[in-house]
Amino acid sequence: MQIRLIKPGLLTTIQDMGRRMYLSQAVSVSGAMDTLSARIANKVLGNNNNDAVIEFTYADAEFKADMDVLIAYAGDGATLIAASQKIPAERPLFIPKGTTVKLINRSLGCRTYLSVAGGWDVPEVLGSKSTFITAGFGGLAGRALKAGDTLNGAEQVSTITQKILDSLKGDGLSYTNWSLPSQLILPADRKTIRVIPAHEFNWFDSQAILDFLSTAYIIGSNSNRMGYHLEGAVLNRVKKDELLSTAVTPGTIQVTGNGGMILLMADCQTTGGYPRMAQVALVDLPLCAQLKPGDAIYFKEIGPREAEMLYLERELQLQRLTTAVNSKFL
Amino acid sequence: MHSADTPDQTLRIYYLSEEAVTIEFGQVIDLHLLDRVSVLNMLLHQQPFAGFCTAVPAYATLTVFFDPLSVSRSDLPGKTCFEKVSGFLQNSNRLTKGEVHNAGNVITIPVCYDKNLGPDLEEVARLHKLSIEEVIHLHSAAVYKAYMIGFVPGFAYLGGMDDQLTTPRKATPRKAVPAGSVGIAGAQTGVYPMQTPGGWQIIGRTPVKLFDAGRSQPSLLQAGDQVIFKPVNRAEFNELVGE
Repeated sequence: MQIRLIKPGLLTTIQDMGRRMYLSQAVSVSGAMDTLSARIANKVLGNNNNDAVIEFTYADAEFKADMDVLIAYAGDGATLIAASQKIPAERPLFIPKGTTVKLINRSLGCRTYLSVAGGWDVPEVLGSKSTFITAGFGGLAGRALKAGDTLNGAEQVSTITQKILDSLKGDGLSYTNWSLPSQLILPADRKTIRVIPAHEFNWFDSQAILDFLSTAYIIGSNSNRMGYHLEGAVLNRVKKDELLSTAVTPGTIQVTGNGGMILLMADCQTTGGYPRMAQVALVDLPLCAQLKPGDAIYFKEIGPREAEMLYLERELQLQRLTTAVNSKFL
Repeated sequence: MHSADTPDQTLRIYYLSEEAVTIEFGQVIDLHLLDRVSVLNMLLHQQPFAGFCTAVPAYATLTVFFDPLSVSRSDLPGKTCFEKVSGFLQNSNRLTKGEVHNAGNVITIPVCYDKNLGPDLEEVARLHKLSIEEVIHLHSAAVYKAYMIGFVPGFAYLGGMDDQLTTPRKATPRKAVPAGSVGIAGAQTGVYPMQTPGGWQIIGRTPVKLFDAGRSQPSLLQAGDQVIFKPVNRAEFNELVGE
C-alpha cells in the first residue's frame, strides 16, 4: 500500500505515541499531539495504538493512492474528500489505486491523523517512529513531509486488519457503516481544560490564581508543537525565587518572567526553569492539541486523584473500543 | 552542613502528572545533591518497580515516569499511583544509605580553541584581562561535572569552571551556533550538540559528536559524568572531523 503526497499542507509529520526512553538525554517525547485521534485512527483499522500515523496541521493538503490502500482518519483539522465526495472519519476506508484525496478545512480544530493498514513504514529511531524536527531524526528522514514523498504501509498487518480489508476491497471507494466516534469519549465542552495545581502554584498571588481559574486565555499566534503562548491576565508572584531547572512534560503550564503563560506540548524540552502554575489533565491534552491561535479557553481545577481516575477510565474506554472492533470480525 | 535532607530522612516527592512524580532533594546547585540524584537514579534502574518507564535527573531533582495502568494494577501499597510510586521510592531511598557517591564516567573532549572556531575567545580574554593562552589554560585545566542534560538532546550543563572565566551571555544571541561549539554562560560551560540559536560565548569547537541518534547511548554525556577538555590544534581538529 502506497500513497504519494501531492500537497503537504502547513506541517505534516509521521508520529506515533512518542519516544519516552531518552528523556534523560533531553530527547523530547514528540509523538502525536492529539493521541486520542491518532489512536482512534489506528484502532478502526485493527492496528496497534503505537503504529505510525501521519499528522496533518490544518487542511490544504492532498495525496494520491499509488496502490489500493486501506486507511482511516480522525481529528478535527480537516475533512477528506475524494471525487468531490466527503469521506467519513473514524472508520476504515478502502481507497482504490489512482484516487486523489484532498483535505479540506474543518474549522473545529487543527490536527488530523491518517493511519494505514499496519501503520506507515518508516524506520524506528531510539524506539519510536515519531519525527523530532528540532534534532532532525525520526519519521521520514527527520523532517516534515513534502510534495513528492511516497509512504508505504507496513507489509505485516493483523488478522483483524486483513479481515477489514477483505470486507471492503473492490473496484470503488468503500467504507464501513460503523465508526468509533471520539465524540462519545470527549467532553461536550471542549474549551474548558481541566488542570491540576502544579508544585509552584502557591508562588503566585491570590489574584493570579483567581484569574487563572476564572478568566479566558487566548491561544497566541506564536504556538506550535513545542508549546502554546497563552494570552490573558498576567500572573504575578508572591514568591520571587529562582526555580532550578527540573523536568517538565507535555501539559505543563509555565509562567515566564513577564507573567505570561506557556503550555508545553509534544515537542517541548525535557527540562525547564520557569515556575509552573498547573499541569493539564492527560485526558484533556487531546483537546489542547486541537486548539488554534485565537481560540479562547478556560481552566478548571481538579485534584490529582480525580485526574488519575479520569485517565484510567479513559484507558478502559479505549480498550473497549478495540474489543468492539475485534468482535465485529471474529 | 548541607541544607539538603539525608538518606535516612523522608524524601520530598511531588506530583508532576498522572504519569510522573518528582523527588526534590534540595533547591541549590551542589555536588552532594547531584550525588543523591545519581545514586537513587542508578538504584531505580537496577531495581525498578512494575510500570517504571524512565527517570530524568536534573540539578536537585529526579523525576520518575511510569505507566499509570501498570502501576495501578501492581501490588505496591497505596490507593493511587502517586502513593504507590512514592512509597516505593521512599523504600529505595532507605536502601541508598551509606552509598552516597557516584563519581560518574570521565569523558575527555578534544577542543580546538581557535579564533575562527571560537569567535568570542578574544572578547572573553579581553573582558577578564587575560591572554588567550590563559583562557585556554583555565578552561582546559578544570575537571567539570555534568549536572544535567537539557535544552536540546545531549546538551550537558557543566559546573566547575574557574571563577575567572565567569562571563555573561551575549547581549544578542546568535541565530545559529554550529554543532560542537564550546561556550560559556555565567559560571557554566557547555557544548552545543547540534546547530541551534544560542547566546553563550563561544570559545572553541570540538569535532566529537555530543549526540548521535545512531548510537546505542546517543548522548555522549550523562548527568553525573566528569568532563575534561583537551586542547587540540587546527590540524588535529580537522583530522578528528574526518574520522
